[in-house]
Amino acid sequence: MGKGKPFLEVLASAMHEDFRFPFLELFAFLYTLGTFALANFTVGIYSQVGTNEAVAYAVTSSLIGGSLIIFIILIFKNVAYGLGSDLEKGIIQTYFSYPLKRWAILTAKLLSGIGVSLLLFLGIQISAFYILAPDIVLPQFSTIILTYAANLSYPLFISAIMLLLTLKLRRGGIGLVLGIVLYFGMNIASSIAFFVALATESALGLQIISVISPTYALQYHYGGLAGLSSSLWTPTLAETMLYIGGSYVIVAALFILGYIYFSRRLNL
Amino acid sequence: MLLKRYGRVVAVDNLNLSLDEGSVTGLIGPNGAGKTTTIKMILGLLKPDKGTVKVFGQDPWDNSAIRSMIGVVYEKAFFPAHQKTLEYLQRVCRVFGVSESRAMEILELVGLQEAGDREIRTLSAGMLQKFAIAHALVHSPKLVVADEMTANLDPQARSELLEIVLQLHKDENVAFLLSSHILPELSMVCDSVAIINRSTVWAFGKLSELYEKYAVGIIRISTDSAYALEAELKKLKYVEDADSDIRGVSVRVAEGKEDKLYEDVPKLAKKIKAKILGIETGSASLQELYRLAVSGKERK
Repeated sequence: MGKGKPFLEVLASAMHEDFRFPFLELFAFLYTLGTFALANFTVGIYSQVGTNEAVAYAVTSSLIGGSLIIFIILIFKNVAYGLGSDLEKGIIQTYFSYPLKRWAILTAKLLSGIGVSLLLFLGIQISAFYILAPDIVLPQFSTIILTYAANLSYPLFISAIMLLLTLKLRRGGIGLVLGIVLYFGMNIASSIAFFVALATESALGLQIISVISPTYALQYHYGGLAGLSSSLWTPTLAETMLYIGGSYVIVAALFILGYIYFSRRLNL
Repeated sequence: MLLKRYGRVVAVDNLNLSLDEGSVTGLIGPNGAGKTTTIKMILGLLKPDKGTVKVFGQDPWDNSAIRSMIGVVYEKAFFPAHQKTLEYLQRVCRVFGVSESRAMEILELVGLQEAGDREIRTLSAGMLQKFAIAHALVHSPKLVVADEMTANLDPQARSELLEIVLQLHKDENVAFLLSSHILPELSMVCDSVAIINRSTVWAFGKLSELYEKYAVGIIRISTDSAYALEAELKKLKYVEDADSDIRGVSVRVAEGKEDKLYEDVPKLAKKIKAKILGIETGSASLQELYRLAVSGKERK
């Protein structure tokens, strides 16, 4: 038997638990509903925004909007509740009796918890693009990819924090609560940063927030909120990409920390 | 010499243990003695703060080669709950690279062939422990490590599991390391024991050697007035030690004084109006052996 098989079996086992009936069906339905319902509603609104890139950004953002929260709920469930419960109940101990390195077991759990959700989310979204806005997809593909990258960075950042907390506490409850707080906290923080920027005419707060949630940098790059922000902060595309890249470096660093902890320090 | 602490609490201290291949070894001791911590270090789930663990000559931490040679049974077995027993065992067969037909074979071995189509979460506690044994044996390991595997089971299920252990040891030459605080059942299956108390090994060796060391000269008196008889026996000069439980008294006498005790016991029984139900020589239970070893009372 090849070396890859035990990993695939653990992945299949993890997926069986994470997406047992009716979770996969329910979330696929919600993604589809969110994507198509919101797309129909928003394409008309954003078609007058300006440049082709700005239109592509606006359409992509509107498509992502409704489905992103569903994606977040799903990965929160799988990372905090799923992995936390596996640690707490001893299923990870059972996996540790299999001839697999620890990092491979964590990879199987994360691929099941986050990777499958991501594939589901992107698969439905990209399909929706081809159906609803075929003229935008190919010419503006890079803008679309950039928008997805910017939007997914913060949920992945929260997932990494939840992973670390879940591994440390060996249960998912507190990680889940913190994830929800971080998610809604960012909305509040960005609003505060916006008003502080307006009052002080300094975009420092927005720039700090954009380091972990680069969707704001991208938003301001394309004109921000109703044109109000163009005088506040208009990052160049290169700067925006730097924010996006930086945020993924942070996310990657947090996940690597999780892997190191899981492989070298996790005592069960 | 192993050391493991949880904060300020020392779970395992100065522990030194070496197991023979192909043996059935019991790890005995009270709750909190350090048995589970020891087992977790053997399985590579815990890193010792000091010292090294070697299993088949290798460090077990994150060692997939070692995992192919070991089967594990925990006190409370946990498996992905929504998967069917046979399907999950077939998956485990694929994980270890053995034929899927082994899954049904092993279910039959533990008497769960009828439950192959049931989800794991629907199994009773006894069935789940049998399933855990099946899970541990799928890949024909050289060693099965079981931590308090019978602790939550009824006597019938306990007896069935021990039968399985004996059968596997006999038929497939599987070595077992069994931790338990239920001593009578260990005495049925073990050929060696390690007695752990207060985080360290107090005695370790073949059962026969330990009996020789600690229990020779022990005379067991079954009576309906154990505590009163114990008090009387302790007054006799040639009695080195006496200890009672609800069913009788275990007495150790000075060498050559056994006949004297046989003479004196009926007299003492008459004095305290106790009924003597039986007297046996050299029949210390594992429980008594444990007590003697922990109290350091080996024959002088």
